[in-house]
Amino acid sequence: MDPAGVFATSYQRDQALIRTRKQLVALIVFLIALLLVPQVLGPRLVSMGSVMLITAIVVVGLQLNTGYAGQVNLGQAAFMGVGAYVTAVFATKTGLPFWVTIPLGGIAAAVFGFIFGLSAVRIKGFYLALTTIAAQFLFHFLVLNLPMSWVGGSNGMSIEPATFFGKRLADDASIYYLCLVIASIMIFGAYGIARSRHGRAFVAVRDDDVASGMMGIDVVRTKATAFLIGAFYAGIGGGLWAYFVRFVAVDQFTLLNSIWFIAMIIVGGMGSVTGALIGVFVIKIAQEGFTSLGPTIVEKLPFLGGDVVFSVMNVFLGGVIAAFLIFEPRGLMHRWNILKRSYRLWPFPY
Amino acid sequence: MIDFVNYVINGALIGLLYALIAMGFVVIYRASKVFNFAQGELVVFGGFIVWWLVVSFGLPLYVGLPLAFVIAAAFGLLIERMFFSRLVGESVFAMVMVTIGLLILIRGVVLLLFGPQVRPFPIVFELTPVMLGDIFIPRSLLYGGLVTVATGLGLAWFFDRTRIGLKMTAVAEDHQVALSLGISVRASIPFAWILGAVLSTLGAVIYLSGKSLNFLASDIGLTALPVALLAGLESISGLLLAGIIVGVVQGLAVAYLDPLVGGAVGSILPFVIMLGILFIRPTGMFGWKTIERV
Repeated sequence: MDPAGVFATSYQRDQALIRTRKQLVALIVFLIALLLVPQVLGPRLVSMGSVMLITAIVVVGLQLNTGYAGQVNLGQAAFMGVGAYVTAVFATKTGLPFWVTIPLGGIAAAVFGFIFGLSAVRIKGFYLALTTIAAQFLFHFLVLNLPMSWVGGSNGMSIEPATFFGKRLADDASIYYLCLVIASIMIFGAYGIARSRHGRAFVAVRDDDVASGMMGIDVVRTKATAFLIGAFYAGIGGGLWAYFVRFVAVDQFTLLNSIWFIAMIIVGGMGSVTGALIGVFVIKIAQEGFTSLGPTIVEKLPFLGGDVVFSVMNVFLGGVIAAFLIFEPRGLMHRWNILKRSYRLWPFPY
Repeated sequence: MIDFVNYVINGALIGLLYALIAMGFVVIYRASKVFNFAQGELVVFGGFIVWWLVVSFGLPLYVGLPLAFVIAAAFGLLIERMFFSRLVGESVFAMVMVTIGLLILIRGVVLLLFGPQVRPFPIVFELTPVMLGDIFIPRSLLYGGLVTVATGLGLAWFFDRTRIGLKMTAVAEDHQVALSLGISVRASIPFAWILGAVLSTLGAVIYLSGKSLNFLASDIGLTALPVALLAGLESISGLLLAGIIVGVVQGLAVAYLDPLVGGAVGSILPFVIMLGILFIRPTGMFGWKTIERV
C-alpha cells in the first residue's frame, strides 16, 4: 500500500519497485552502508557479511520456488552443492575466470534441479518434499562415488582464489565486494521475476493449480520453471561459496542446511523477496550468536558440557520453524507490513 | 547357493524391520493425514528411554519395557498437544514443515537430555543366532519379524474392520468431511501420535537390541520411507510385502553389486526405488487412488 497522496498515473509507475522518493533515499543509504562494511567492520564480521550475501542468493531462489510457486523443496542445499562443485571443477581443470565458472555452476544446478522439478509435474505436497530429499541423498552418493580425480570424493576440492584483471580476490574485503555485486544483480533479478508474467503465474499456481490451469497458465511448465530458477539461484550461490571458502566438501551441503534455508523463508515470510532477505539476516545473526556466545556460556557453567551449543541450536531451529508456522505463518514480513501501514496512516486510524 | 538363501532371508527380515518403522508413518498418516518426517527421531527417543530405564536406572526388562512404552505414549501425546492440535485444517505445507521442525527439535532434545555419546542398548533378544542347517538368522530380527507381522495384521484389522478405525480412516481422507460427518478429528489425531510413538519404541527395541545407540540411529527413519511409499501410504498390511521386497533387493544389492562399484549401493538403493515409485506410481502398490494428479 502506498502512503497517502501517492498515486500511480501510468502502468510503469504502478509496477515500479521504488514507489516514493523516501524509499529511493533509503535504498541508496542502505547500499552505501553495505559498500562501507569492509571499511568499518572487522574481518570476522566482513566474512560473515559474505556468508549472508551468499545465503541470501540461495534463499531468494528458494523463495521463488517455494514461497512464490508453492513447490516444497528440501534439496536446495544439494542444488547449491552442484553449483559449487561444477564451479570448482571448471576453475581447477580449465582455469576459466570466475565470471564464466559461476554461471556454469548455476546452469548445472538448474539442470539438476529441473530434473527433480519434472517430478512436480506428477506429484505435489509432501510427495514432492520426498523427491527433493532423495535429491539430497543422490547428490551425496554421486559426489562420494564418482572417481576421486573428478570431484575429489570425500576429501573435497580446494580451488584457487578468483582473479579479476590480474587482482587476486583472496582477502575478506574483495570477496565481500564480489558477493555484494553478484547478490545485488541476483536479488534485483528476483524482484523482476516476482512481478513479471512468470512471477504472477507462480503465485496463481501456488494458490490453486486447477484454477490457474483453467485461466490458461501452463501449470506443468510453470512448476518446472520454478524449480529451474530456484536451482539456478542455488547454483550461483554455490559457485560463490566455492570461491569464498576455496574448499568444497560434501558435508557443507546437507539436508540440515536445506532445512535452515526453509526456516529462513518461514521466519522472513513466504512469498516475499524482502522477507527472504530479512529471514537470512535474522537467522544468521541468531546462528552466529549461538556459536560465538556458546563457548563463553559453557565456560561459565561447565556442567552443561561442550555439546550443548549444537543441541540448543537444533532445539532453536526446530522450535522457530514450529512456532512461526503455528503463531505467525506469514513471517516477520507480515509484522513489518503491519507496522509500515500504521506509520503511513498515522495519525489516522485507517 | 546357500549364501543366496542367507542373503534373501536376512534381507527379508531386515525389510520387516523397515516395515515396522514405516508402520509408524502409516499409522500417523492413516489417522491424521500428517506425514511425519520425524519418525526416525521418535525411534531414537524411544531407544533412549529404554536405555535410560533399563541400563541407567537398572530396572529389569519386564518392568522397563512397558514403562518405556507408557513414556513414549505420553511423549506422542505431548507432541500432538503442543503442535498438531493447533494445526487442524492448516495447509499440507505447514504440517510437513512442522514435522521437519520436529525432526530437528527432537534431535536437539535427545542431545540435551542424553548427550551425543554412544550408549549400550540392553539385550532384549539373545545374541546367539538361530541356525537352520546352514542358514544363519539373528534372533532379534527373527522375533522382530514375527512381532511385525502380528502387529501389522492386527493394525490392518483395526483400521479396516473396526468402527473406531474406520472413523480414523475418514479423518485421513479429509478433515473437513470427517468433521461434517460428526467424527472428532481432535480425538483421532492424539491417538495416532500415541500409536506412532509406541510403534517407534517397539521398532527401536527390535532394531537396537544388543547394539549400541546414539542419535545417529535416526537414519533408519529415512531408510524406512521407501517401504511406506512402495506399500502406499494408507496400507498397513501392504507394508509387510513392501518391506520384504525392499529388504531383499537391498540385501542382494549389498551382496552382489557393492563389490562391483565400491560400496554404498545398498544405502542409496531404497531412495532410487523411492524415486521410481514417485515417478511411476505415486500411490504405491496398495494406496488409495485419490492422489490429485496435476
